[in-house]
Amino acid sequence: MGKPKNSPSAPVESVSDRIAAEVERAIRRNVKGLEYLASPAPVVGATPKELLYKRGTLNLFHYLPMVDEVYRVPILIVMATSNRGYILDLAPGQSFVEFLLKSGYDVYLIDWTPPSAEEKSLRFEDYTLDFIPECVRRVRKDSGVKDLTLMGYCMGGVLATMYVSIHPKTQPKNLICFTTPISFPKMELFAKWSDKRYFDVDRLVDTLGNVPSEMIMSSFDMLRPASRIAGQLQLWENMWNDEHVKSFRMFERWSNDTLPLAGEYFRQTVKELIWNNSFDKGSLMIGGRRADLRNITSPILHVVAEHDHIVPYAASKRLIEQVGSSDKEEVVLKGGHISVVAGANAQRRLWPRLDAWLGVRSV
Amino acid sequence: MPEKPANDPGAGWRDMVAQWEKGINSLANQTMASDEFSSGTNSAMNVALRAQQVMGAAMSTYLATLNLPSRADVTAIADRLQTIESYMSRIAAALEAQQPPAKKRTPRLPKAGKPRRTKRPPAQITPT
Repeated sequence: MGKPKNSPSAPVESVSDRIAAEVERAIRRNVKGLEYLASPAPVVGATPKELLYKRGTLNLFHYLPMVDEVYRVPILIVMATSNRGYILDLAPGQSFVEFLLKSGYDVYLIDWTPPSAEEKSLRFEDYTLDFIPECVRRVRKDSGVKDLTLMGYCMGGVLATMYVSIHPKTQPKNLICFTTPISFPKMELFAKWSDKRYFDVDRLVDTLGNVPSEMIMSSFDMLRPASRIAGQLQLWENMWNDEHVKSFRMFERWSNDTLPLAGEYFRQTVKELIWNNSFDKGSLMIGGRRADLRNITSPILHVVAEHDHIVPYAASKRLIEQVGSSDKEEVVLKGGHISVVAGANAQRRLWPRLDAWLGVRSV
Repeated sequence: MPEKPANDPGAGWRDMVAQWEKGINSLANQTMASDEFSSGTNSAMNVALRAQQVMGAAMSTYLATLNLPSRADVTAIADRLQTIESYMSRIAAALEAQQPPAKKRTPRLPKAGKPRRTKRPPAQITPT
């Protein structure tokens, strides 16, 4: 009979057991470490989908249903412009999209590819008066349903709320936002780095056209400069654990897969949203229309993360405070900017809660 | 929550890494939140951008003299090609859609039969 293992009934292991376990881990760590260096990147975004529409940087996908009976109201997700949509579809069993499909939702996704040099002139107007309305029209046509739930992640949430606030007569059935900033000056480090006394955004955009992905990625990394090295150390320590390694590689791949931003869109973001804080103040004009958050009357759910270092709570809380909806809810969950929507914690904390909120509003 | 092993030799290392990460991030954030940092990095960026502008203009003139395309010219051609490819694939898709099913050569992603849109939530609750 073996010695008692670490369990509630026998919480204390012997020192010799512990040493044996650590030696075994050290061996496996070295073997797995060699495998890690030689193995290909993990497959992500594998849930079957079809491309419904593509125009330049814009891609509209429809995920193939996984069940015979779905809710009447389809979902249209607007991904953040700086990142790839596969964060919402990491791997089977860890995919938010797969969860939605299996829970009976019909899911469409607006995903972005790097804007071409010609697309440097794209502005908020293009996203909210052309791209999103065109996709809404196509989702309605494809699904045969006029209603839809609009869902946006980070800057995707900003674009979705801008779209609804300048189209008050065509409200979506529901609006769901994840970690969506409204008060941009409250993203204090970004605001500081783009201080108008020192930051010449005109020179940057006029020289480079589109803002390179390396610059976007560096700005995210600079918020937590030690975290990438700490992540590598944690990876080494957990190299024996296949699940940890797989998860690490998926998130690492995604965070390195940052997109460039269209130059004019970046210029507007800096001048209008950070310098003037005009979306929060209700003075943002898009194509001659005022983007007033009070125009949003759809039922709205805003999910924010307690430890979000990119969009702190002070920047995101203004959404629920300002919208005109009577049916509105803000959920603050443990986690960070990414882990609130993807990964094991999101699977446990967010997804079932979101299903409970959305299911009753999707019939 | 599972109980932590009493004699975990890795625990000290993990704590040390976590403390180091927290300390460095905190210190760096304080430094980067200063006017000096913002002014310094943006000045450096402006110098780099100015140099890039000057170099770009000089190289364009030089390449034009040699009757060679600049990077901007090549990128512009690549963009135009991409646009033409995109139009061609849309035309091909439109033509394909007009063909009778038997003549279709390229198999499309199998579209599942349209599901019924009649699902109700497990416990129907009236939204508040």
